[in-house]
Amino acid sequence: MRQFKLISAVLGAVLLVAGCGGGGDGNQSPRSAITSVKVMGDSLADSGTFSALGTGSGYGRIFGVQGASSKNFAELTAASYGISSLCNVYQYTGTTFVLNTTAGCTNFGVGGGRINPSAAMGGAASPFSIVKQLADSGVMNTYQATDLLIVDGGGNDAADLVGAYLKASTDGGTAFSTMLTSISGVTLPASAADFPAAGVSYMTALANTFFDAIKTNALDKGATHVAIINAPAITNTPRFQMVLDSISAAYGGGTAGATARAQSEGLFKGWVEAFNAQLAARAAGESRVVVVDLYSNFNDYIAHPADYGLTNVTTPVCPITGVGSDGLPTYNFETCTDTALSALTPPAGSSGDANWWKTYAFSDGFHPTPAVYLLASQLLNRSLIQAGWL
Amino acid sequence: MNKSLQILAITSALVGLAGVAHAQSAGTWMLRAGATTIEPSNPSGNLSAPAFYVLPRTGVGSQTRTGSDTQLAGGITYMYTDHISVDVPLALPFKHKLYGAGAIEGVGELGEVQALPMTIFLQYRFMEANAKFRPYVGLGATYAYFFNERGSGTLTALTNPGGAPTKFSVDSKLILTPQIGATLALSDKMFVDVFYSKANLTTKTTLSTGQSVDAALDPASYGIAIGYKF
Repeated sequence: MRQFKLISAVLGAVLLVAGCGGGGDGNQSPRSAITSVKVMGDSLADSGTFSALGTGSGYGRIFGVQGASSKNFAELTAASYGISSLCNVYQYTGTTFVLNTTAGCTNFGVGGGRINPSAAMGGAASPFSIVKQLADSGVMNTYQATDLLIVDGGGNDAADLVGAYLKASTDGGTAFSTMLTSISGVTLPASAADFPAAGVSYMTALANTFFDAIKTNALDKGATHVAIINAPAITNTPRFQMVLDSISAAYGGGTAGATARAQSEGLFKGWVEAFNAQLAARAAGESRVVVVDLYSNFNDYIAHPADYGLTNVTTPVCPITGVGSDGLPTYNFETCTDTALSALTPPAGSSGDANWWKTYAFSDGFHPTPAVYLLASQLLNRSLIQAGWL
Repeated sequence: MNKSLQILAITSALVGLAGVAHAQSAGTWMLRAGATTIEPSNPSGNLSAPAFYVLPRTGVGSQTRTGSDTQLAGGITYMYTDHISVDVPLALPFKHKLYGAGAIEGVGELGEVQALPMTIFLQYRFMEANAKFRPYVGLGATYAYFFNERGSGTLTALTNPGGAPTKFSVDSKLILTPQIGATLALSDKMFVDVFYSKANLTTKTTLSTGQSVDAALDPASYGIAIGYKF
């Protein structure tokens, strides 16, 4: 009996020790002392360039579902450094861009941003040009070791190239040729048969233009932490899936249509891959740069949605508000709010409750939902952490 | 000379030959102090959605690797018979760091958890009670108690960027622990004890984001201690 009393006492003491303390947050501080996040890019990174247009404009603060806590991927990553809000450097007035008078804004990203915007968009002089965004930031800021630059681009350029290529059947390749000659270093096609290879050449040259701009305007000006998001496969978006469907239809559907559709998708993906491969090659060995592989991961979100908490990767959550001149649906981000979506009758096949839209991938035909912005931010954060920057 | 005195005389002679008396006979209490290392198996399974995957796909997702820890440890043993003993190991709580693995390899420390394995072993000790070297085998009932789980900025940045810090909890579990070990008598009272055990322990870690990950920790435990007999 005595020995059992002793064992009981010992166990009691062990339990007392075990009872101390409890779980907690741990150290939430970033490993790197980043105090400013500067952003250049397109709609995925825009923090309100068009929001001053106000009621009736159709624009929201970000390109996606609007809400009090809605943030794009760059904003979510900035918040990981304790920077709770990013604001737009440029402001669109409805006719032109002006500088935002709000002090301290560091987000140069503009919805519709391109590495090589067309002359009709204002070309290299317009804030639609990510090269101009980089140049302006390089002039307006003296980069410190405590700055992080997040740069994304290439998606809209790829969309332009696809659009110009598809237009060749009606314009004889004029738009496509105009694009190819708009930047240097492109091997021009001798005939239409060379168009696919010319697209690869264009996207490769575009990646060089992009990286050169980052080097000249950021790295050569003292930036030591530059995260470049590579271009996603735009063919995964509902908008381009509809375009691919129309190609299939043009070939009469069936096997011939499916073959043409698959060939076109492969071609367009190949162009984006050429851009990304050249970007990775240029950044290789550059310790001040991390390239975030959104391309591969976005493809995986579409291929294995359940692994990413997604239930629908084909249907936009925002209601269609009309049809554009290109025959594709149009949407209104101003009215596409989290409360408005939760108030809708959940579509068949969704979770069936007010959160139905939270596991969808697309807000409109081309832009992500908060769920995918969160995934993209986690992806960016992983690269930053692996680099020792977060 | 009666029989008892004869036995005593023979025993004394044997002890004299051995140089020391070091019986681990029925009724003996033994206390020991030393160090014990717990070395979990790695890596864990894949974290549930949404999480990263190694691309191109290999099936490997976001995983964790649990670090080893060594703590001041010892125990108390009671010889129920000359061969059967009851043993209660005692140790300071073990502190295990959790690191990213698989698709989150290279992100470093994700957090830490403290573990207190509370075990009662039933052991069988080979050789005679007074043998200088006595190997033993044991089987223990262990309550693997996990507590003081702490996250990190890294864990939050990977699971809930811009949101509330991600917390986690590790399920405690009752398991069986097989053990082998041996004691070597240093003197009449002092001895050295070494042991090795390997338990089957699969536990679930749940994050405040609603995600979870199963890990077959199957910890190996080994240690060395100096003991004293009463």
